[in-house]
Amino acid sequence: MAHPDASRPRPKSAWRHLPIATLVVTAALGTPVVLAAPDAARPWVAGTVAAAGGCLVLLASAAARLHRRLTAQLDRTLAESARQRSEAAYLAGAVVPEMTAALKDPTTAAPGAAGAVRGPAGAVRGPAGAWHPAEPQLLAVQRAVEEAVGVAQRRAAAVDGERRQAVRALASMSDDLRKAMAQTLPTAVRRLGEGASLETVRAELRLSQFANAHVRELVEAGVRELAVSERRSAAAQAASAKALSRVQAQAVSILADLRGMQDRHGEAVLGDLLELDHSTSQLGLLTDRLALLMGGRASRSWNKPIPMESVLRGAVGRIAAYRRVRINCSSNAAVSGFAAEGVMHLLAELMDNATSFSAPIDQVHVYVEERSAGIVVTVEDSGLKMADAALRRAEEAVSGAMSDLASLQGTRLGLAVVGRLAVKYGISVSYRPSSRGGTGVVVHLPAQLLAQQRTAPRRTAHELSAPPLGRAVAAAERTPSPRSQSADAPPSETTDAPTAAPAPAPAAPSPTAFAPAGDQGTGDNGSVTANGLPVRPPGRTMAAADRARTRTKRPADDRPTRDAGKSFGAFHRARLAAAAGEPAPSAEPAPSSPPVMPSPEPALPSPEPTPPSPEPAPFADSADPRHAD
Amino acid sequence: MSRRPVDTGDPDRLYTITGGRSEAPDDLDLVSLIVSECEPARGMQSEHVRILKLCRRPAAVVEIAAELGLPVAVVRILVGDLLAMEKVTARHPRAAPAVAELPESSLLLEVLDGLRNL
Repeated sequence: MAHPDASRPRPKSAWRHLPIATLVVTAALGTPVVLAAPDAARPWVAGTVAAAGGCLVLLASAAARLHRRLTAQLDRTLAESARQRSEAAYLAGAVVPEMTAALKDPTTAAPGAAGAVRGPAGAVRGPAGAWHPAEPQLLAVQRAVEEAVGVAQRRAAAVDGERRQAVRALASMSDDLRKAMAQTLPTAVRRLGEGASLETVRAELRLSQFANAHVRELVEAGVRELAVSERRSAAAQAASAKALSRVQAQAVSILADLRGMQDRHGEAVLGDLLELDHSTSQLGLLTDRLALLMGGRASRSWNKPIPMESVLRGAVGRIAAYRRVRINCSSNAAVSGFAAEGVMHLLAELMDNATSFSAPIDQVHVYVEERSAGIVVTVEDSGLKMADAALRRAEEAVSGAMSDLASLQGTRLGLAVVGRLAVKYGISVSYRPSSRGGTGVVVHLPAQLLAQQRTAPRRTAHELSAPPLGRAVAAAERTPSPRSQSADAPPSETTDAPTAAPAPAPAAPSPTAFAPAGDQGTGDNGSVTANGLPVRPPGRTMAAADRARTRTKRPADDRPTRDAGKSFGAFHRARLAAAAGEPAPSAEPAPSSPPVMPSPEPALPSPEPTPPSPEPAPFADSADPRHAD
Repeated sequence: MSRRPVDTGDPDRLYTITGGRSEAPDDLDLVSLIVSECEPARGMQSEHVRILKLCRRPAAVVEIAAELGLPVAVVRILVGDLLAMEKVTARHPRAAPAVAELPESSLLLEVLDGLRNL
């Protein structure tokens, strides 16, 4: 706001001509006075007038100069005031708002960067921050405002820095957290689950990768807790598995004892013993179930193939309601020893489920079906139909998907056990609606769990080795049986040679007595005497019973037919060989060529070379063909 | 651990063989002779099959028990089943009148002495 006087030049004043006017006036007035004065006084008057005029001119010029100076001073003052006003206005109108703006928005308007602003006098004043008013008060005001703005800006800058720092810290923390969640903790869970120790896992995790100490501590604490709980559960499992294995061993030995008692004691206590047996078997199932879940082993393991019928009976004997289970099994297949216990346990669990989820009067039917790809066992109950959700849960359980202990629900352990066993042995278990109205469980035992049919050949092998025992040797009880010879063959080999040679001699009468029967019918040569009465071969029962009790049980059924044919064949061969000439079959007739040849009796030792028993050894020693000849 | 590594016995418990029964029929005693009347059929219990095979020749109950390795009471139950199905017949060697004709105890003692002197 410029002052009006300061902007335009002041008009020339009359004050400048004042001394000349005074001189003129003085001259005009003085000249008449001087002319009028007497001549004598005229020089004096003239001098006085001149002096007075000079004084007046001086006075006038002094006044004029004073006036000029005062006017200039006034002009300066006015200009000064106008400038001050304009500066104040600029300060208030441009600089302070600029500063305020800079304060409000420190990022866009940095101090001193406000750009050129037109100053009050129209001159370019440059950046407002670089401009300083001349007036000290205004300068002070500006300084104060600047200082305040500077403080505020510094504070804002500090706050901004802190904010950036906080944002960075937050970002790194969220980075850490994401890493911990996505990588570290899963790895820790997996490794700890695999049984690695806390130190190992902590070293592997490289906790120093976490920039944030809190995250590091958090992860470390979590891992430590996890390790403790893993260790706790592992210890609990191991302890319970160990304890359960003791219970299992006890149960097995109780079962063995009970079996012995059932053999020893009479019928009076048999019922009670069977009850005890049943309770102990159920106990065995319970402990086996728990042991399996705890990572332990089954209480029993079999070293021979178990026929399917026995597997089913072994399974059904472990459940409470075994009387309600009807087993329909006509299969001769056998389950390999290594899998028999698992299969039994699995079937027992399924039968237990079937009996406990059907009405107590309904029967549970078990069918066995032989297929080319194995054996299918179906457990069908006629009880309540399973709800869809329950069926799904059951199928999930038996598929082995829920192998974690954490997924166990309450007391429903049976199906989890089934799942584990199924996975272990590759058995597939599936549910389907039963034709009897309830639920059917189809268990498919793959072929690799089944034993080859070795039972039949082994039985014939028994029967092949049995005949000499049954007929020739068992007749004379003093003669050592092939079994006992094979048992103590090495020490008695030298002493047996003399005894074995005369042994057939006392036995000779009875075989010769029965020889006709044996030759004619190739049937029971000892069952009919010359009088046609049925006769039990002497000592047979005793010997058989004794054998059955002491050594391996050997089936005595249809022994006569097989051994008669066999021995007849051997006898026939031996006789052919004897007729054709001695050395025809090289090793075969060796036992049959002792000098006591002509009776049918040599036919008795002759089958002995065929089974691979050490029996022929003493004979071969004593009756070498070249010796005999 | 004193656990045996393997089990050598059979997994069948006796009550599963008898179907939970423990009372044997009274008309069979230890020396009743059993004779099978038919061949074993498919689907029969394995013990029945073995008894039928064993009794193609007359065999006493106690003999069957020894062969099967089962207690006599259990064998009597099994044979009782077969009798009820009329697949075997039983002969009782000691009929009531025969008891009167038993030899004197002195004679038995003499025989026993003779046997011991053998």
